[in-house]
Amino acid sequence: MSARIYRRRFALNIVAQTLASAAALLALVFLAWILWVTVSRGVQAIGVALFTKITAYADQGGLANAIVGSLIIDGMAIALCAPIGVMAGAYLAEYARGTRLGETIRFLNDILLSAPSIVLGLFVYVIVVLPMTAATGGSVTFSALAGSIALALIGLPVIVRTTDEMLQLVPSTLREAALSLGIPQWKLTVQVLMRAAGSGIVTGVLLALARLAGETAPLLFTAFGNNYMAYGPLAKMASLPAAIYQYTNDPNPALHAIAWAGALLITVFVLALSLVARALFASRKTHHD
Amino acid sequence: MTDLATAVHRGPAPAGSQPAAAQGADAARVKIAARDLNFYYNDFHAVKNIRMDIPERKVTAIIGPSGCGKSTLLRVFNRIYAIYPKLRAEGQVLLDGENILDPAYSLNRLRSKVGMVFQKPVPFPMTIHENIAYGIRHHETLSRAQIDERVEQALRAAALWDEVKDKLKRSALGLSGGQQQRLCIARGIALRPQVLLLDEPTSALDPIATGRIEQLIEELKRDYTIVIVTHNMQQAARVSDLTAFMYMGELIEFGDTEKIFTKPDKKQTEDYITGRFG
Repeated sequence: MSARIYRRRFALNIVAQTLASAAALLALVFLAWILWVTVSRGVQAIGVALFTKITAYADQGGLANAIVGSLIIDGMAIALCAPIGVMAGAYLAEYARGTRLGETIRFLNDILLSAPSIVLGLFVYVIVVLPMTAATGGSVTFSALAGSIALALIGLPVIVRTTDEMLQLVPSTLREAALSLGIPQWKLTVQVLMRAAGSGIVTGVLLALARLAGETAPLLFTAFGNNYMAYGPLAKMASLPAAIYQYTNDPNPALHAIAWAGALLITVFVLALSLVARALFASRKTHHD
Repeated sequence: MTDLATAVHRGPAPAGSQPAAAQGADAARVKIAARDLNFYYNDFHAVKNIRMDIPERKVTAIIGPSGCGKSTLLRVFNRIYAIYPKLRAEGQVLLDGENILDPAYSLNRLRSKVGMVFQKPVPFPMTIHENIAYGIRHHETLSRAQIDERVEQALRAAALWDEVKDKLKRSALGLSGGQQQRLCIARGIALRPQVLLLDEPTSALDPIATGRIEQLIEELKRDYTIVIVTHNMQQAARVSDLTAFMYMGELIEFGDTEKIFTKPDKKQTEDYITGRFG
């Protein structure tokens, strides 16, 4: 009798395990496939020219202005959203805990987290690009700054959420211990809790950077693109995702190869960020045991 | 006045009745006095009409089964409960005659006078030195040399100095559990408080570390009024001068530890002490 139950369980276990493994394998196959195509096609166009020539002379095979543009736009974006995001996350975790206002903000933040990025691009077009065009009489229209603001809106909810969660993971006994020494709430938050959750918060910022570095849609109506090298925040500026988008729409197959190389660059950048984030987070865990 | 029954009050006592003080061998000055103290978690009445006088420079143990309100009572004495919403205390807790439950009583002042050590050691994510200097710096402006001196004093008082004097710049998270707990005690006494509240300070520690802390409590009572909540009755018997037994939020009996553990007045106390419940 019981032997039959065990046989049945054994069989069921094998079925469940097989199905789960197959699903995992399927997901991995596509991921590996995407990576393989990106790498194999991307390396063909990788060369010195990629980093030295600009997109104005497409036949020279360069993305230099797009690479520099992406670094500038992404850097400004993270500089805009990291401080605001960390402070907002600290507010949610430490000051608005259990309040209706806090819950509402957390809910809205989750909506922003899943908002279509093109909507954020259009939003910034309306609130930044159009007023700037009007204010400067058309001498400043699309700009790297507007692109950064749009990307910052992508990164912001990621940082708010991770900061909030990392601070909530800090045991409440640490708060009680500091408060019972008479330490005020703001000092506790900044000097004790942020330190305790520090690597988790930095991880969140890196993941936000990884997320916004791959975005194309928010840049189309904001930074616009530029076939020449530009450094000023008020100039139209090229970016890797926008250049890839532009090149893949071109009939010239040589440009497709350059687009793949650009895609490879972004992939490697995001992968490196994720690895750093993982290493940081792992060091945090061992640190606390 | 020698009758221990006078130590026990359940319910508000009429004015002019006997004092709530437990009759210690030498009637010491009252440091903390609870008067008609009630505590609520939302609607749950966790501590009921407590009236007790805690004498200065003695160790007072609070014992009782889980959920009897002993930790709650302790957490009223430095108002740490106030960081959570929907908790409220009613009545009075007089520290040197001043009501600390009065919103006008500064939390900063209260917490510099009343230190607390928790069940689990909670070192700050800083160096050993910084763990202790942090609190001092918040309350006083001292030179670096003065801070170093205070840190050393506190670590010596907590019987930790010899073990950590060569690694003050290392993270406190690398210390053992027992060392971390003594660090937390050092952090508390570095502010030179008058009262130390210990909430089951040894429940997460091994017997050797527990022995060290108990020895430390014995030494600290020369300078501090100590209130310790413990699950361990042997510990209460070993370290305390007075013992309060709580049950279902009420203070059942409060008196000399020796008397509580040998011939308590109340049947409930005796049943608990002898292990018939709890």
